[in-house]
Amino acid sequence: MKLNGRLTIEDLNALPEIPIEGINYEQIYIEKEPICPEYTPPDETIIPSHKRKVVIDPGRICMPFGAMWASVGVHKCIPFVQGAQGCTTYPRYTFSRIFREPVSIATASFHEDAVVFGGRKNLIEGIRNLICRYQPEVISVITVCSSEIIGDDIDSYLDEAKEQLEEEFGPEVSDRVKFVIIHTPSFAGSHIEGYNRAAKAFLQTLAKKRSPNNKVNIIPGIVTPGDIREVKHILRLMGIENIILFDISGTLDCPLRLPQSMPYYPKGGTKSEEIMDMANSLATFALSPHEGKAGATYLEKRFKVPAIIGPLPLGVHNTDIFVKRLAEVTGRPIPEEIKDERGILLDAMADTFHYTMMRRVAICGDPDIVAAATRFTCELGMEPVAIFNGTPSKDFAREVWAVGEEYNYKPTIFNGGDMFEWEDFIKREKVDLILGNSKAVNVAKETDTPIVRIGFPIYDRVGYQRRANIGYRGGEYLLDLIVNTILDSKFPDDRVHQ
Amino acid sequence: MPIPESYKLKCDYCIPQRYKHMALTSRKQPNIPACNIKTVPGDMTERGCAFAGARGVVGGPIGDCIQVIHAPAGCAWYQWGTRRNLSAIYAWAEPNKLCNDSHNRRRAITTDLKEKDVIFGGVKKLRDACLEAWRLIPGAGGILIYTTCTSGLIGDDCHSVAREVEAEIGKPVFVIDSPGLCGVSQSTGHHHFNVQFYDQMVQYRKRHPEVCMKEEEKTPYDINIVGDFNMDWDLALIKPLFEKLGCRIVCVFTGGERMRNLLKMPDAKLNVLHCQRSCTYISKLVEQGYEVPYVPVSLFGIEQSAKALRDVAKFFGSKEMMDRAEQIIEQEIKTITPALNFYRAKLEGKKVGMYVGGPRVWHWPKVMKELGMKVVFAMCTFAHEDDYEKINARQEDGVFIIDAPNEFEIEECLERFKPDLFLTGLKEKYLARKFGVPTVNSHSYERGPYVMFRGSINFARDIYQGIYAPVWKFTKDKDFM
Repeated sequence: MKLNGRLTIEDLNALPEIPIEGINYEQIYIEKEPICPEYTPPDETIIPSHKRKVVIDPGRICMPFGAMWASVGVHKCIPFVQGAQGCTTYPRYTFSRIFREPVSIATASFHEDAVVFGGRKNLIEGIRNLICRYQPEVISVITVCSSEIIGDDIDSYLDEAKEQLEEEFGPEVSDRVKFVIIHTPSFAGSHIEGYNRAAKAFLQTLAKKRSPNNKVNIIPGIVTPGDIREVKHILRLMGIENIILFDISGTLDCPLRLPQSMPYYPKGGTKSEEIMDMANSLATFALSPHEGKAGATYLEKRFKVPAIIGPLPLGVHNTDIFVKRLAEVTGRPIPEEIKDERGILLDAMADTFHYTMMRRVAICGDPDIVAAATRFTCELGMEPVAIFNGTPSKDFAREVWAVGEEYNYKPTIFNGGDMFEWEDFIKREKVDLILGNSKAVNVAKETDTPIVRIGFPIYDRVGYQRRANIGYRGGEYLLDLIVNTILDSKFPDDRVHQ
Repeated sequence: MPIPESYKLKCDYCIPQRYKHMALTSRKQPNIPACNIKTVPGDMTERGCAFAGARGVVGGPIGDCIQVIHAPAGCAWYQWGTRRNLSAIYAWAEPNKLCNDSHNRRRAITTDLKEKDVIFGGVKKLRDACLEAWRLIPGAGGILIYTTCTSGLIGDDCHSVAREVEAEIGKPVFVIDSPGLCGVSQSTGHHHFNVQFYDQMVQYRKRHPEVCMKEEEKTPYDINIVGDFNMDWDLALIKPLFEKLGCRIVCVFTGGERMRNLLKMPDAKLNVLHCQRSCTYISKLVEQGYEVPYVPVSLFGIEQSAKALRDVAKFFGSKEMMDRAEQIIEQEIKTITPALNFYRAKLEGKKVGMYVGGPRVWHWPKVMKELGMKVVFAMCTFAHEDDYEKINARQEDGVFIIDAPNEFEIEECLERFKPDLFLTGLKEKYLARKFGVPTVNSHSYERGPYVMFRGSINFARDIYQGIYAPVWKFTKDKDFM
């Protein structure tokens, strides 16, 4: 039972012949050694994150990462990260892990001398090298902790870089590239704020007033390529022309098609002319309030394009709001197909509430998706018990509290602390289901709680980046995942046949 | 010898300073490309930072320490449960239940520096954080504190914190000062970890002689495995063979090891040094400080694994051990021959491109040869001159080598040399696949362990699966191009 078909290390090394298929790690039984002989409980007095300084298992990463996420959603845009190489390499690892795609991000390659003398030389030389080899259309210059602390004057460095470019390659090369500067010192916020700042920076730099375009702007926030495709699907059904800012569906989920051109550029992404044209749209929908609000409000203040902030259209209520507002803004009716899609989701909910109702659920992740998922679980009759968001936000707490009031629940809200306290709560209070990202898997396994993976990051299973959780069809998919996971873990097989 | 004109990659025409990083191998007169020097900014390098080398590569595998990252949350997050350096040591999840993931990969522990800390300093926060972590994750063997760009730039005196915390908890608290931006690549971080760990270990042994191995506990055949990080449980195949040989393994530096064993490192008789890029430093220091010699080995493939066993046996000079080495080698070869023959028949003549950090580019040419494959180009992220000497010696003549290659150079090499397989890491493997070239993850492996005799079958299988996956034939259908 213990070995479960696996070989001990001794057996493995005594095997007289290794089979053609080899013997892998997962076939080896490794006896777990406890770190210390006896279980010792953690000091309870400092489990709440506000009672301590140490952060254990943060539910957030660094601000530049969010700016990079946004930038890679722009067509032929290469982020140029003004900092040490790790500030580029780690995010690239993270992207590759989640999306299983290559991601091109340049680095200024800070070494010690850059700290002593400033990053001027690195930026000027780096921008030049990047442009002459890759001919990008847009470069987003992203600062990090180190360049912010040493106080690099990016604007003046960039002016100098442009001057030198013009001198070396002529104006046709230097004029073709657009530069967007995004300041993202990580000690001042998380990836959520990084995306938010990127939205504003891109629009501030590129958006230009021209004649009205009758389009709708969408800033989706940190969602999957699948989610963005679902938004496009809804807009298509409603016949609404649109501009999606940071369209990673065309850059982080790309076909394998030969021959490939060099250097590798994904075909998709938001074109810089489209970003320019966002000043002329009917309205801007920032689907994730924390990731895009700054961009949408900028367009409203500067170009009088109305900003419609959130909520993330996940679940029935939130998608209803999105669709109704789309109809209001464009004057178009809600089409039959969308009513049918909504009906199919409701039908699925009607078919499954006996499985979902009164189940206790814990949720973790980024603020907007967690708030929306909390509401969706309530719509399924589930009870949100422990709701964790990695990036502190008053709006988030208000929203989750309001959902709780509406459905008569009082979830414990962990707003911006760390996953350690959320985990401790689940270990003590037991829940029926966890909705969370790959970082919650250990918690799920250790508490024998089934998990449904949502949000950022999911790297331990395949395909989630292609699936939508938002919109009615996304809701239907998420509902199926939730119900099937409950069936897998809570029901004997003879209870699920009819 | 400078690289011939015809080998100068087109993508570098406007950054000709890259050409000195290229060379053609030669066994007689080694051609060493420019290496371990500053990266060309904006060249789309694949290199990482010193912190990655210190925390991710060398420190990360340590099994029982609380590893506190003194930085904003991001740096800790990126190191959280990523590299598959596995360990058997698990923290308690609750009474009678151990955690799901080994202790070294289970958590991200950080001071989460904020703007306020950057302005006023983070020393107090670090001290509190270490003591709190100690109370929240009981039972650890010590604490390792890592600095990063932020804490390095604000100049926090982490060593004073370490001394205070150590006095309070009664376990070693070491500081690894290796901010991301110091040095040209992650290799600097390896170096920093080695030197700083060694210094603090020596001091700690002086202050606490009770942690040293007692004379009566020592055996004449005590060895350390140095520079193995237990990727996908490589140690499940390495340790038993050296034990069969008659050695006793005092510690592994650092794969899945406990702090108390690491502190006994100088008490062994021999260091068996596997990763000769990241861990030669400490081997040399232990040799200088404690007169413990080291023997460099390659633990990949048949010929090299056999040589490693023979070299260790020869070091101890015991006839019995040398005979045992021969018996082990004979037995091991017998167990894998049928499977190896299967793969050899499938892989004979296939072309392979290699791009790994450094040592594997010289660990693996022999392995490729044993599978009948031909290396067409080889690249290293952070190799030094000694690595390139070994690459020259172990590759066939005329293999194109590039130091610290960037994305565009990789693409051009894939198109130019058209390898049947590309041995590479996580970031680059997805790029290669877009060009229709199969890959095997050469850092964390696809499905390891890959070392020693038995592991070589896993390696061969993953190479075979890469090349023979049915998907590739669909990519070549002209009607869909």
